[in-house]
Amino acid sequence: MSEESAKKYTKKEQNEVFDGEFMPHVDSMYSFAYRLTFDEDDAKDLVQDTYLKAFRFINSFERGTNAKAWLFRILKNSFINEFRKKSKQPAKFDYNEIESYYNSDDVDSNLTTDLRVETVQHMIGDEISGALNALPVDFRTVIILSDLEGFTYEEMAKILDIPIGTVRSRLHRARNMLKEKLEGYAKEMGYK
Amino acid sequence: MSDISHWFEETFKECYCAENNLVDRAKFKELVQLILDDEADEKSRALFEEKIRTCISSNNCFEDEKGMLDTIRAKLADCKSEMPSGLAQSIKNSIGT
Repeated sequence: MSEESAKKYTKKEQNEVFDGEFMPHVDSMYSFAYRLTFDEDDAKDLVQDTYLKAFRFINSFERGTNAKAWLFRILKNSFINEFRKKSKQPAKFDYNEIESYYNSDDVDSNLTTDLRVETVQHMIGDEISGALNALPVDFRTVIILSDLEGFTYEEMAKILDIPIGTVRSRLHRARNMLKEKLEGYAKEMGYK
Repeated sequence: MSDISHWFEETFKECYCAENNLVDRAKFKELVQLILDDEADEKSRALFEEKIRTCISSNNCFEDEKGMLDTIRAKLADCKSEMPSGLAQSIKNSIGT
């Protein structure tokens, strides 16, 4: 039996699951969508699209399990499979090339910074946010999921459909890349 | 033992020389990440905590990384984008709940 045809919930139960388990995460979903698309209208469309899909496939959701991770996975897949193609934001990078480079063994030796905590403390949130937004999407995503949304590695592995070891290494590289961006920005702005 | 725990144990060994001095800060920072993300198991955490109690280089590296990550997390949390008003209602209207 397909997931779509398995009728597990009555109409009333569907509404209870949707309102009680899905809707409380709409704020986080929008925040994630905005950080992926950089456009308010695109982010709204992406969130709407995600919730429509969530409702359509609600019978494949197990009540009481991690609704937030389930929704984030749908949103991430919608972004990759459909949304990025029609996004107003043109692709600035060859993601495959970047992913391949940053997954190589010697990458960490090229990503060392002497960025100091005191320097970052002088920056405002928007400056750090700008540096985060400048990262390629796969690296930006792991930082958002971990440091903003508080997902565990196991939850991130499910959302992103990658092994836990890859979550660990990608997050480490993403944070190094963010530090490198912040260091460049600090030098540009004359922060000590 | 999970893959991550095995990786932690092996990487930990590579961080120190025979005299128990920290020789690979880059690798050690990867271990610090697991601790700060609360992903290390009890055994790995105990090994790590014992080391930062007794090795000043390890302790400094841990404190630097912790300070940096705490600062970045706090500043990013401060500038979360506001959800447009009416979005939640619009979603509910579109599926008719």
